[in-house]
Amino acid sequence: MTEKVIIIRYAEIHLKGKNRGFFERLFTVNLERCLKGLRHELRRTSGRYLVEKFDEERIEEIEERIANVFGVHSYSVGLKTEAEIDAIFECALTVCPEEGTFKVETHRGNKRFSLTSMQVNAEIGAKLLNARPKLKVDVHAPKSYVYVDIRENQTALVFGEFKRGRGGMPVGASGKGLLLISGGIDSPVAGYMMAKRGMQVDYLHFHSYPHTNELAKEKVVSLAKQIAKFTNTYRLTTLSVTKIQEEIHAKCAPELNVTLLRRFMFRLAERLAKKRGAQCLITGESLGQVASQTIEGMTSSNAVVTLPVLRPLVGFDKDEIIEISRNIGTYDISVEPYEDCCTVFLPDFPAIKPKLSFIASEESKLDVEGLVEDALTTLEMISF
Amino acid sequence: MIYLDNAATTRPMKSAIQDAEGALNELYFNPSASYAGGIQTHGEIGRAREEILSLVGGTENFGLIFTSCGTEADNQAMFGSVKRGNLVVSGGEHAAVYECAKELKNRGLEVRIAPLNRDGSVDRDALLRLVDEKTALVSVIHVNNETGAVNPVGRIAEQVKEKNARALFMSDGVQAFGKIPFRLTKHIDFYTLSAHKIGAPKGIGALIVKKGVKAEAYLYGGGQESGKRSGTENVFGILAFASAAKRKFSTLKEDGERILSYRERLFEKLDKDLFVRLSPENGTPYILTVSAKGLRGETLVRMLSDRGVYAGKGSACSSKKPFSRVIEACGVERELLDGVLRFSFSPENSEAEIDEAAEIVNRTAKELYGRIR
Repeated sequence: MTEKVIIIRYAEIHLKGKNRGFFERLFTVNLERCLKGLRHELRRTSGRYLVEKFDEERIEEIEERIANVFGVHSYSVGLKTEAEIDAIFECALTVCPEEGTFKVETHRGNKRFSLTSMQVNAEIGAKLLNARPKLKVDVHAPKSYVYVDIRENQTALVFGEFKRGRGGMPVGASGKGLLLISGGIDSPVAGYMMAKRGMQVDYLHFHSYPHTNELAKEKVVSLAKQIAKFTNTYRLTTLSVTKIQEEIHAKCAPELNVTLLRRFMFRLAERLAKKRGAQCLITGESLGQVASQTIEGMTSSNAVVTLPVLRPLVGFDKDEIIEISRNIGTYDISVEPYEDCCTVFLPDFPAIKPKLSFIASEESKLDVEGLVEDALTTLEMISF
Repeated sequence: MIYLDNAATTRPMKSAIQDAEGALNELYFNPSASYAGGIQTHGEIGRAREEILSLVGGTENFGLIFTSCGTEADNQAMFGSVKRGNLVVSGGEHAAVYECAKELKNRGLEVRIAPLNRDGSVDRDALLRLVDEKTALVSVIHVNNETGAVNPVGRIAEQVKEKNARALFMSDGVQAFGKIPFRLTKHIDFYTLSAHKIGAPKGIGALIVKKGVKAEAYLYGGGQESGKRSGTENVFGILAFASAAKRKFSTLKEDGERILSYRERLFEKLDKDLFVRLSPENGTPYILTVSAKGLRGETLVRMLSDRGVYAGKGSACSSKKPFSRVIEACGVERELLDGVLRFSFSPENSEAEIDEAAEIVNRTAKELYGRIR
């Protein structure tokens, strides 16, 4: 019996030696989660996963979801049939075009199959040429391929193309981080990048209502929802930094407004990260992009935390970041107009290279611990 | 909650909903249907049309096309009437007109923007200087929705026609209709209305067109509204619109006097160290626009909302831009552009509410000052 299947191949998991079982189980869980709500059966065979018994009308949706799971190296939509030449040929007919050059490429998982790979190539190729006179064999640069994969359990898989997945590692394989997410272009991309390397990502957003808009929060939720496709995280934590901003504005040198605010954000993020079991902070900073993203600015923020701060975009140009954000569907949301910071609090000339001693003396004018504690009481969780 | 954003929208009147309920119960038929129910429904729409028209100009000289909103009416007037020549619009036009003008400019027409006086009314002499023999359409908003200034559109239309008798004249009457006394004159070719600004539900507006003037269709289909606006009619909305309009006109004078006293009372009670008045005294009673020096109107609006006062920050339609184009065009100083707050009233407001709101507004602005200074 022949049926439509999706063949999934994983990326780096095969490199993981003795930990392979852990990675494979995690990958299975993530695949199952992505297919939730869609009829299917997921089967693990050696080195591959097969999605079977799904609703063929919804195949595009299934493909899209699979393509977004980290750890998927490539996948193919194909046919599963008996490991028997006539059945394979019938499948090959549906995979192969009517005309043009082609090549049959066979792989035998089952080495006891009666024909060698070369023999299968020749047999299927000859039958195809016979059935479709406009076809021509080209073994070097064919226009299309017919792949035949003969499996151990007397079945064969026949498919025409490899579609690329997003690669990376299964989410959850590389610990947990807390992403500082704004409504801009960079931070969602940073979250995506860390999730790609297998990190479970929790989101934290700072707002300064009433100086900023409630709509800004909604926008961040939209961004978080968009990257949830990849990260599997469906909740956002928010904290208000209104009072902190007002205090800084009232008491400290205006050129340090942003520097000081960022130090508070890092302190707050670290407190939350530790509570949540996150092992690092993640930001969307890119070296030199804005006044606060200089090495001095980063140093001054790092100085107030002990957790590592991961900045996956630090060496990226804006163009490169935008390209990824378009690819993951966050760009259009990020560029919607909104305010992420009240202009009242933005100095005309922010300090580009703030000195730690100057920062410390300005910060000593504030009740740092009191403000941090106070801000933590504004914590809100949004699930989506 | 004290609702002082009635220029954005109003709470639908109970009487208007009741009067229109028939359209949801007995008269649910398609007005284009040939059976009795359809014909009766069609008749009700006709009656509503006449009622609304009779309030401002009579059915003899004007026709009325029901649309889905004021914006649609403005769009139809502009895109349905102008093909060539130049366009003169006031700088105080609502986005529904202003953006159409910009689009017509993209399509190759010349657009001339007439400057505003400080209070938001159009500089009439300057406007007239822009009109020439090639002018196809002139648009002047009746009541400036951001400052409340009233343009004497009847007189302006007459002067426009003296300069160029073939030029069409339109006026967006959304903030004027049912709120200030007005009759259409023979010099006005298009006048646009919106129902939800006067206590009817959202989703219904109208384009009044002088007879003999062409306003080409904008939507094509089943040929409703004499072919000028296809689409099955919003019967409920239309009936509610007519009911609310009748009610508004029946109490227009008393409401106007009472609301004028609210407007002045509110301004009187506002802290003059904090607020500067932008609305003119001779403007519509329904709008009081002020600016809080050095503060942001938007922040104030949010804080006021938390304290139970709903106010506007100028035009809600332009909330994504930092400053209001219209307030800027009035020549208001840079430091006042950010702090614009618009209070707009309805007959449902009471004096006690005004007093309470004034106290909250003063307290809130003072607090915000303290927090950011």
